[in-house]
Amino acid sequence: MSNIFRLQTPAITTATAFALLLGAMLLMAPPLAQSATNHNLALSAVVLPNGQYGYTRGDDAEAVIPGPTLFVKQGDTVSVTVTNNTDKPAGFRVPGLSDKIAEKAAPNGGTLSYTFTATKTGAYPYYGEGQELLGLFGAIVVDRADGKVERFVDGDGALKSVDASELDKQYVLFMVGSTFWATEISKAGTETPLWTNPVLGAVENDIVRFHVLSVGPGHTFHLHAHRWLEPGTNSVIDTKLLEDISDSHTFTIRAGTGVGPGNWQYHCHLFSHMEAGMHGSFRVDATNGPNKGMGNSVAGASPYGAIFGNASDDPGLVTFVISDEPGSWFRSARGDTIFSITGGTRSLEVIPPGSSVNFIMSETNTVHTITGLLWPSGAGDPSNGHPSNQGKGKSRGRGTAAIEHASMPFDQTRAYKGGGIVKLTTPGLYVFTCKVHPYMFGAVIVDDPETDGLDLGETIDLATGIVNLPTSSDLATRLLRTFFVATAPNNWQDYTSATPWKVTYPAVDVRITGGAVANLSDVLIARYGNDVALTPPTPPAIAGVGEVWIDTQFEKTAGKTKPGTITVIDAATWKVARKIALPQINMNNPHNMWTNRDQSIVYQTQWFDNKLAMINQRTGALIKNIQVGEAPAHVMTRPDNDDLSVSNNGEDGMSIILAGTTEISQMMPTQQRGQLSTNPHGHWVSTDGSKIITPNIFTNDVGFYDTDSGAILERVPTGGSAPGAHPIAIGMMPDSSKFYAANLLHHTVSVINKDGTLKKTINLIADYNPIDGTIVDRDGDGQATVGILPIQIPVSPDGKAVVLANTGGSILIIDAAKGSITEDTVVKMLPCDPGCHGANFGAKKGGGYYAYVTSKFSNELIVVDVDPNNDGNLSDAMVAGRVSLVSNGNTQTDDVVSGLAGYGGQGILAIPNIYNGWVQNLPDEWKTQLTTKQQNPYALH
Amino acid sequence: MKYQHTHAVGEFFASGDLQTSSTADRFSRFWIGLTIPSTLFLAMFFLPSGHGVAANHRIEMTAEETEAGLLAYRMIEHQVDGVNITSRYSTQATIPGPTIILTEGDKVRLTIRNGITMSPDQQVSVHVHGIHYNILSDGSLKIINKIEDEGAYPDHGGRFYTYLWDVAPGTAGSWPYHDHNFETHNGSEDRGLFGAVIVNPASGAVTGSNGSSIASVPVNSIKKDYVLYLADDAFWGMEIDGASKQQTPLGANPALTANGGDNVRFHLIAMGTYLNRFQLEGYQWVDPGTKQMIIAKDIGPLENHAFTIKALASTNYMTANFSRKLMGMRGSFNVTGGAP
Repeated sequence: MSNIFRLQTPAITTATAFALLLGAMLLMAPPLAQSATNHNLALSAVVLPNGQYGYTRGDDAEAVIPGPTLFVKQGDTVSVTVTNNTDKPAGFRVPGLSDKIAEKAAPNGGTLSYTFTATKTGAYPYYGEGQELLGLFGAIVVDRADGKVERFVDGDGALKSVDASELDKQYVLFMVGSTFWATEISKAGTETPLWTNPVLGAVENDIVRFHVLSVGPGHTFHLHAHRWLEPGTNSVIDTKLLEDISDSHTFTIRAGTGVGPGNWQYHCHLFSHMEAGMHGSFRVDATNGPNKGMGNSVAGASPYGAIFGNASDDPGLVTFVISDEPGSWFRSARGDTIFSITGGTRSLEVIPPGSSVNFIMSETNTVHTITGLLWPSGAGDPSNGHPSNQGKGKSRGRGTAAIEHASMPFDQTRAYKGGGIVKLTTPGLYVFTCKVHPYMFGAVIVDDPETDGLDLGETIDLATGIVNLPTSSDLATRLLRTFFVATAPNNWQDYTSATPWKVTYPAVDVRITGGAVANLSDVLIARYGNDVALTPPTPPAIAGVGEVWIDTQFEKTAGKTKPGTITVIDAATWKVARKIALPQINMNNPHNMWTNRDQSIVYQTQWFDNKLAMINQRTGALIKNIQVGEAPAHVMTRPDNDDLSVSNNGEDGMSIILAGTTEISQMMPTQQRGQLSTNPHGHWVSTDGSKIITPNIFTNDVGFYDTDSGAILERVPTGGSAPGAHPIAIGMMPDSSKFYAANLLHHTVSVINKDGTLKKTINLIADYNPIDGTIVDRDGDGQATVGILPIQIPVSPDGKAVVLANTGGSILIIDAAKGSITEDTVVKMLPCDPGCHGANFGAKKGGGYYAYVTSKFSNELIVVDVDPNNDGNLSDAMVAGRVSLVSNGNTQTDDVVSGLAGYGGQGILAIPNIYNGWVQNLPDEWKTQLTTKQQNPYALH
Repeated sequence: MKYQHTHAVGEFFASGDLQTSSTADRFSRFWIGLTIPSTLFLAMFFLPSGHGVAANHRIEMTAEETEAGLLAYRMIEHQVDGVNITSRYSTQATIPGPTIILTEGDKVRLTIRNGITMSPDQQVSVHVHGIHYNILSDGSLKIINKIEDEGAYPDHGGRFYTYLWDVAPGTAGSWPYHDHNFETHNGSEDRGLFGAVIVNPASGAVTGSNGSSIASVPVNSIKKDYVLYLADDAFWGMEIDGASKQQTPLGANPALTANGGDNVRFHLIAMGTYLNRFQLEGYQWVDPGTKQMIIAKDIGPLENHAFTIKALASTNYMTANFSRKLMGMRGSFNVTGGAP
C-alpha cells in the first residue's frame, strides 16, 4: 500500500535488511554507563540513476538521500571512512561536532577517513564537501547518555520529559535547495528512505522526533498547528531558522496534541521557496473513526523512480543543476551521460507523467528564478492569462493555487538562492528559464509511454499569454531550435573554423500536433537548414576611434573556474589588443560596462555574481572588486557628476556609488515599499543626470526615478494587457526626450515620452507568421522585417537611429529622428548571429558613428554603419564589417584562454564614450580625436 | 449553500475539544450569503467556555487592496465577552493587519471576508501560528488539508469563512497570522496580508530587561507594544498603547517613541524571502526562554522574537543584512523625558 515498501523491497535483500536493522538496533541500544563507544561508519559515495549522488553504508545497500543516519551517545567516538565512487572529488565535514576539514577523496575510488568525538548533543549534518548539494549529506544524532531526548509541549501546555525509548518514530528532514529530503526511523530503529517532499505519517498522540537539517542557503522550517521547544530553552516556537551553509534543529512533538488529526502542512517559510514547491504533509491519523489510519508515511519522487532510461513503478526525479557555466545553465545531473543522445545539450530531460523535476542552484554565485517559459496547454490553469497590473504590481499572473494538477505557471516572485521542485503530469514539452538570466534554459519532455514518439504535445502555452500554439508551428520549432543552439556550445558559430556551421539536434521521433510523429532533427534541418558556410570576418574599411571593450562573457580561461573575459579591440586596427580575465577575483560572467569621465576606469558588472569590478583602462589591471547586490547587470555614470548607478537584476533596487568612492552609499528602491520586486536590467541615465530609467523585468514596466531624491516618478507598463513582456534594456534620445524599451518576450519596443507616457508600441513581428514562419510585409510599411527576442536598443548620439539587437538573429534599425515621416518605425533589417545581444555606439574616424553588435553564440563582432553617407536617410544602413573576438599572437592577456574562445558577446563599451552629455566631459586627449560634430552631437539641433 | 445552524460552534466551546470534525461541523464554517441575527449569534457564542477568567472573542475581519496596490487586513468588529472593542483598531486596512491581543485560555471565533476586487476571484484566508485549532481552521487550501478550501471568496456573494481558535495554555507568545490561499499554493502574505497575534501569559507577567539585569515585568505595566514586521524591503510597524489599548499603524520603517523609564515590548516577526539580523544599538535584551542577554537576533521568515525592555536612551533599530540595510531597512527609537 505505501510506496515506501515498493521502493525498498526490490533493491534490498533480506540479508541486507536484517544487517541494517541489526546495525541500527545496536546503535540505538543504550551504552553501558560511563563507557564511551567507538563507532565505525563506512560510507561509499555513489552516483544514483538520475545523476545525483548518495551515500550507502556497505556496498550492497541502496544509496540514499539523506545518507544513513548514525545515532551515537554523547562522548562516543566516531570513525568514518568514505570511499568516493562518484565522478567528482568529495571531502567530508561534520560542522558543529568537528572543525576538521578532510582532504577531498579523489573520484572513482578515492578514500578518506575522519574521526571525531561527539561532544555535544543534537543532530548534526555530515556532508561530502563540494558535492553536498547533489545529495552527499546525512545526519549524525548525538543523544544524551541518560537516554533523555528533547521535551515536548503537550496540549495543555505542560512540558513533558521523554526517553528515546518512548519515541514512536523519528524523521530526518534535510532542507536543501528548495526540496525536503527525508528518511524515517521506526521505533525498532529501521530506517526507510522517504525521498523528496514526502507525506510523513503518524498516529494521533504518537511521540515523534524531528531532526531538521540543512546544507546550502538557509531556510525556515514551519509545521502547521504544532509547537515545540527551542532547544536549550523554554521558548515555545513553531518556526525555526536554519542558517546558511549548514544548520540543524531537533525537537519532539506529540502528533496532533491540542489540535487533532489532519493533513498538516510542513514547509519552508521563505516566500520564494514556498513558491518553488518546498512543502509536504505531516498526516496525523485518528486512532478511530472515519480518519483512522496506521500513520504510514508515503515516499516522494526519488532518483530511483521512473525517468528516461530507468523504468520503475515509483515516481521518479530528474535534477537540474543551476550553473554559471555557459550553455549548461540548467544542466541535468546526468547531463554528461545523456548528452550524446540529446545532440549535445545537457539541459534536456525526459520523464513519464507523474514524475518530478528538481532544481538545485549549486554551481552559481547569485540568485535566480525557476520559471516556466512554455508548457503543454493542459498543464496550465485555464483561468490564467488575466491582465497583469503592470507597475502597480498587483497580479502575479498565477492562478494555480486551487488546481490540483496545474503545475504551470511555475514561477517565483523574487529571485533567490535555493532550488525548486515540481511534479509534471501533463505530457508534452516544458521549458524552464530564469527571469533574471533569460537565456538559461532547461527542457523537460513529459512522455506518455503509451504513444509513439516523445510527446511534445498538441499545443503549448507561453508565459507571455500565448495559448494553444501548435507544436508544429514555426514559432514552436524556432523556440526549440533556439534552445538547442543556446544550450550546446558545439552548436555555436565559430568564425575561426573553415568547417560549415552545423547544429546537431536529437535524432529522435517526436509526437506533435495532430498526433503526427516526425524525426525532430529532420524537421529542424528541413526548416532552418544546416551546414552553413561562415565567411571569415572582414573588418570595416574605415577605422573607429579609440577602443571597443566587449564582454565575451562565456570565454573560459585556465586560471579561474568562472567564465568570462573582456575583449579589448583596437578600433584603429580592428585587432584584439587585450584580454582581461581577472583570475585573481575569479571574474564571473562579465556582462556590461561603463567608464568614468576621464575614461581611466572601466566599471564591470558580474551578472552571475554580486560584484562590480573596477579596472584600469590603460593596463587592464584590477583596481577593486566590490559587492554591490545580486546579479548586477548594467552600470552607468551620471553625466553631471560621475556618480555610478548599478542595476541589481536579482533584487529590488539600484546601487548608487558616489564618484570617487568604492562603496555603495545606498540601494535606491525601484518600487514602493511592499510592492513586487522590479528586478531592473539595462537602465539608462538622463543627459542631465537627474533621472534613472530602468526596464523592470519582474513587473513588466519602465520606471522613472529621481536620481537625487530616489522618488519614483513614473512606472510605465510595457506589455499592454498580456503578461510577461520582460522589458530588458533602455535606449534614450540624446536630449532625454524619448526612451525606447525592448520587450524581450513580447518582441516589441515601447516608445515612451519624457513625461512617462507611452508614445507607441512597435511590433517587431508584425511581418512574421508564427504558424508557417513566412516573413512578408504585413504591416504595409514596405519592409519585411522581424525582430525576435529584442535586447539592447541604444540611440545614436546624434539622435538619428535606434539600433536593436535581436536574439533571433537580426539587427533592426528604427528611425528615431523627431518629425521624420518614418519616426519610430523599423526602416531596415540587417543580419546578425545567433544570440544577437549587445549594441552600443562608438565614434567613426572622421565623423559619424558605428554601432557595435555582439552575439552570445558566435565569436565575432558586427560593425553597423547606420548612415554611411551621413544624409540622415537610414535606408543605406549596412554592416560595415565584422571583427573576430578571438585573441591573436599579439593580444596581451592576464590569463590563458582555455575554451569557448571569443564567445558570449554581450555588453559593449566604446572608449571614448561619445554619448551626448558624457562626450562633453571627455579629457582633451580623447576629445581631440573626435570631430567637432562628434564633440557636440545633439546640442546644435 | 444554505445557512446551517451553528450548534457545532457551541459544542466546540463547551467541550474545548478541537478534534471534532463531523460533517456538520465542517460545513458550519463555510456560510454563504446570510447575515446571522446578532442576538442568535451572541447566544451561540456565549455558551459556557469552561475557563473561569478566559475571554471569548468574536472577531470579523476583511482583506482589501490599498492605494499602493498592496493587500491588507482590516478589522470589522471585535467583541470580547460581548463588549465591542472595535474602536481600538484603525478604521483602515493596515500593514501589518490588526494586532489581535489575547490571553492564554481565551477562545476566538474569527470570520474572514474578502473585499479584494481584482479578477479572477481569489480566496483570502487567515492561517495563524502558535495557537490551537483543528484542521478546519487551518486556513489552507483543500490541496493541502484534503478537506476544503478554508478561505473566503470576494464579498459580492456575501461569502466568508470562520475559524475557531483555542488559545490554550502553553501558547503564550507573539505569533503571526497571514493569508495562505491567495494566488499561490501558500498564499500571498508577501503582498501585505499579515498581522500579529499577541498571546499574553495567564500568569500576567513576562520577562524583561532593565538595561543589564533581568526582571519579571507585569504585562499591565507595559506602556507600549510595538509590532515590527521585517518584510522584504521594510519594517512595518503597529503600536499598541498599554493603557488605552488603542492601535496605531506606523507604516514602513517607523520612528518608535517611548518615555524614558517605561517598559516597552517589541514583537518582531519576519516575512518574505530574506534572512535578517535584527539590532537595536546600545540595548541588550533577554533571549526568550533563557536567562541570556543578547544584542542581536538572527530572524528568518515567520519566526517571531519578542522582548521587553526599559526605554533608556534613543537609538536606531536595523537589519544587518547587506542589501536590506542598503535599502534603508532601519528606523529610530526615540526615548524622551522620564526617569532614565
